[in-house]
Amino acid sequence: MGILPGGGTVIAQFAAYAVEKKFSKYADEIGHGAIEGVAGYAAADEAAARTSFIPLMSIGIPENAVMALMMAAFIIKGIQPGPNMIASHPDLFWGLVASMWVGNVFLVVMNVPMVRYLLSIFKIPYNVLFPCILFFCCVGTYSVNNNMDDIFITAAFGLMGYLFMRLDLDAPPLLLGFILGPMLEENFRRAMLLSRGSFGTFVSRPISGSLLGLLAIFIVWQVVSFFRAARKARLSGELLTASTHSVESAT
Amino acid sequence: MKAIFNDRNLVRGIVLVAIALGFGLGSFNYNIGDFSRAGPGLFPLMVASLLLLVGISTVIRSQFTERVALGFSMKNIVIVIAALCGFAIVSMFVNMIAGIAVLVFGSTAAGNSYSWVRNLKITVGLIIVAFCFQKFLGVQLPLI
Repeated sequence: MGILPGGGTVIAQFAAYAVEKKFSKYADEIGHGAIEGVAGYAAADEAAARTSFIPLMSIGIPENAVMALMMAAFIIKGIQPGPNMIASHPDLFWGLVASMWVGNVFLVVMNVPMVRYLLSIFKIPYNVLFPCILFFCCVGTYSVNNNMDDIFITAAFGLMGYLFMRLDLDAPPLLLGFILGPMLEENFRRAMLLSRGSFGTFVSRPISGSLLGLLAIFIVWQVVSFFRAARKARLSGELLTASTHSVESAT
Repeated sequence: MKAIFNDRNLVRGIVLVAIALGFGLGSFNYNIGDFSRAGPGLFPLMVASLLLLVGISTVIRSQFTERVALGFSMKNIVIVIAALCGFAIVSMFVNMIAGIAVLVFGSTAAGNSYSWVRNLKITVGLIIVAFCFQKFLGVQLPLI
């Protein structure tokens, strides 16, 4: 599930939860405090977070905001994520794999005795936590360039982020676009140049053609399901008013 | 007038349309070219037109779905942004210790409870942390 681009971890979590609800022998207790419900869910989250490296490493496509940041870090270091990455930088690739192992072992070693104390962070009131978070953000931003102007930029982006949050616009696609946009532009121009301005080149090749086809099916399905839901809502509304009318006329 | 704009889906559509128009009209300042020989303005124009489509469909869709209240609390976000800017300005012209005090006392005003004693404790704690950053991690902070 983690391989699926966009919301991989969330989908994996819901899928794990649904599977457990169906097949676990404690199915009745799940959702009422059974530890199995939480454990499967968290395991799926972890697994999806790791597998989301696969698209980045194999075809160079980041699937969520974290992977986009990883990709930016790779590119800054002069490493192009993609099919050649494992061959050209084997030390980095296997180092990353080993770091996952080491990291998870450390997590177990640290968390099992420490969980009691880590939980107490939730008891800190938000009024105390909030200025601390702001301060650490400021210090982090400032220390990159030792420049106070960066904090004003942080404030401006904070305002933008708040606006986006209120409007229910997700930030990760913005970040993805920020990183993938230049690559898309360059390659689109190259494709257009090679095909002398014909869009047919995108659908005539099997891989890109089938991907675009899937995309088109997905969009059509979204539109259709929206209209069906809207019609259903209107129908049930009409039924409701009709039944209340009939009840009123009967009485 | 205010009631119309208290609809999250509608405002979202309008914001998207505004962004699309802003960048789309801006891209006409560059050479558009044609598809076989794209100018620098072509790609922004394409992305902006797609965004415009999404924005318009969001506006249309908002008329058919249930309204969601926008719930924009102007006061709090202004307080927090002001505290951030205050921190930067005071740190620039005085020093960061005063800046931390401004940040803590300013930003907690957005909360639902306010206490001088608690703010003082947070400020002292953060100043100690800042000194630790400076001494042990070598972060260049204009503390004094």
